[in-house]
Amino acid sequence: MKIFVGIDDTDSIDQGATGESANQLIKLIEERRWGICQGLTRHQLLLHPAIPYTSHNSSMCFTADLEDANLHSLIEEAGKFLEQNSAPGSDPGLCVAIEEHLKRAEELIAYGYETKCRVMTKAEAYGLARKLGVHLSEHGGAGIGVIGALAGVGLRMTKNDGRFQGKLKLKRPGAAMSVAEIKNSSPVETVQSLAGRILRDDEELRLGKKLKTVLLNGKRTLLVYRPEGELGWKTCTNAHLEDY
Amino acid sequence: MENTGFWIKNEAGRVQFKGGKNDWSDAADIAGGCPYFLLDYEDEIVAEEARSCYNCRFRRWTAASFVCLKSKKSSVTRD
Repeated sequence: MKIFVGIDDTDSIDQGATGESANQLIKLIEERRWGICQGLTRHQLLLHPAIPYTSHNSSMCFTADLEDANLHSLIEEAGKFLEQNSAPGSDPGLCVAIEEHLKRAEELIAYGYETKCRVMTKAEAYGLARKLGVHLSEHGGAGIGVIGALAGVGLRMTKNDGRFQGKLKLKRPGAAMSVAEIKNSSPVETVQSLAGRILRDDEELRLGKKLKTVLLNGKRTLLVYRPEGELGWKTCTNAHLEDY
Repeated sequence: MENTGFWIKNEAGRVQFKGGKNDWSDAADIAGGCPYFLLDYEDEIVAEEARSCYNCRFRRWTAASFVCLKSKKSSVTRD
């Protein structure tokens, strides 16, 4: 079965990062041979004074293929992991959704988008999770991480939200590579311009300093742009990717 | 709102960066002389210059800018 795992609010200003917690959780799942995990994505939620986020209000989500028999163990161990490893003062939440059991994914997707523009409550998150049959649990503090954990799963399901965690290791900054070369030597599935044009395999681009990918149309996408006054493509900077 | 140098004191009394989210030069200058600067985790890095308030663990993003969690209300003149 394919599952979506969302976590949020495992850090404090002095300690931890939700991305790191998610990576450790992935390691735990794979070490125990419960399943194989795929790309970890970061999803930006609303920045609002009424929301007690640590510093950026983002949540993390990854998918996994696992045997049905391992689901219960995964949920139990993931909860314990969050309780034991989250930063003191944090409010961790865990969401696990089984793709084939989810009849109304569009409601979860709508919830995800809503967390980008409205202050949500824990009661709303639990209400929706119950209605859709999605696992949602809190593991410390005030437990408000359930809001972001559920939203992270909804936003990942849009196939059009979030940046993948980590950066690509290709050639040195300034080096030229063809799209085909990049696709063959990294997890990149498509190379696309900011305006939405998909580059052909034989097109070339220049690498920037930091190579990040985003989730677009369900694919791990490397975004490029044409610097002013230049004809060739270059990979996007952090500033370009701020809105993904 | 109080307004001094790089900073504004916002409605909550927190020290907020006046340059918003795209004043890369000032954010780098301030971090260059800040004893509290601590580089955040890789996924939260936004500025190309590593040493920038925009990349600091102690910045808390707001809708329009960020507040510095190491600045006390009284240190709003620190710039």
